[in-house]
Amino acid sequence: MNLQNMAPNAKRSLLITVVFGAAAVCIYLFAVVPSEGELARAKTELGEVQTRHEMMMRNLSGADKVKERLERINAGLDKFRAAVLAPSLESYAMGAKKLLDPLAAGAGLSETEYEELPLVALPVPKRLPVQLFARRPIRLVCRGSYQAAVSFLLRVEKEFPLVALQAMSITAQTDPLAQRVEFVFEWPAKGGRTKK
Amino acid sequence: MSAKAYHLNLLKASERVSSSPVRIRVMLPVLAMFAVAGAVVWWGSLLGRVLLARTSAQTLQTEIDTRKAAYADVMEKMNLANELESELEQLEYYRAGRNAYGGVLTSLAEVMPLKIQLTRLEIPQPPPQSLVPPGVLPGRPYTPLWGPTGNVESVSLVLAGRTPKETPIVTLMESLESDAFTNLVTIVKDPRRSDQSPKVRSIRQDASRRGEGSRMLAFEIEYRVKDRRFAK
Repeated sequence: MNLQNMAPNAKRSLLITVVFGAAAVCIYLFAVVPSEGELARAKTELGEVQTRHEMMMRNLSGADKVKERLERINAGLDKFRAAVLAPSLESYAMGAKKLLDPLAAGAGLSETEYEELPLVALPVPKRLPVQLFARRPIRLVCRGSYQAAVSFLLRVEKEFPLVALQAMSITAQTDPLAQRVEFVFEWPAKGGRTKK
Repeated sequence: MSAKAYHLNLLKASERVSSSPVRIRVMLPVLAMFAVAGAVVWWGSLLGRVLLARTSAQTLQTEIDTRKAAYADVMEKMNLANELESELEQLEYYRAGRNAYGGVLTSLAEVMPLKIQLTRLEIPQPPPQSLVPPGVLPGRPYTPLWGPTGNVESVSLVLAGRTPKETPIVTLMESLESDAFTNLVTIVKDPRRSDQSPKVRSIRQDASRRGEGSRMLAFEIEYRVKDRRFAK
């Protein structure tokens, strides 16, 4: 096809076709394609914001439940916090003495002697807490009858429901009223921290 | 030939058989224009959707920013609740591992035969705890575990005493099989089992004393007591 020989109408038609065709291609390449990318990015961004928003709204709607849960957990922990052995003059043995001596004297045990033993770790839950708890054993050696020892033990178990007996021994002596009695009591205690 | 008889045959041969009565020189520019219009509409639609997505994202982001403080507070409480729940769980392990012995020791005094002189009653201390990770060779450095791998601690009750004959020991052992004790003291009589309880550790002529003492039998019996199970 020779452009020279083309009729003017045909030439005009061809020119218009070429110009508009080029314009269509340009719009596609330089406007549509980038806008497609832009749309994909905007959609991704919107999706992320929507996810965050949904999560936020879900968590915010459960705020009351979280508060209730926290109160329930704290109530449970308070019992243990009250049972944790507080040191006296920086000595846990002294702290135990303060608590147990009145009961021992009341039961008829004498010559009490307290000794702090190393902490014993507790098994850890699946979700590792930052603050670990452990068992704090305190050895109590004293003298008294079998009845006095058992009476003392019953009182401790009643007065301190979270104090556990780890070990004990009653060894007979010449005087049945002054047998050698040894208890190892345990208190819940703060252990190490898993994060600084 | 009159003018009326003249007519111009402007159709080409290919156009004569074409289904479209419109010529290609007209159709092509029109199609090109449609293409431009279509592309513009497409672009416009895309721009509209982009704008809509951005506006929606902006609206949501504004809402997120508005509630950020409340959300941070809730998240902090949730994290705190999770942390405290783990602490409570560990303390519940402690509570679950607690055995009360007062009742059993009271009952023991009641059932103790008169002919038996109890020389020692003992709940021995558990063996030292190992926090060495499994598989660590001896002498090699290691990071201690946060807690023991097992959650059960075996407990036993040792009764040692003297008696002039065997019968009171049998009476004592029968008494310890009663309901007052079996909630804490375990009875497994099968001697083939490793957890047999009671186990008579020793029964022998008491050589510690002369005279009357030499006619006495010294015995030592070990009972398994309910394990301390540090688990929920």
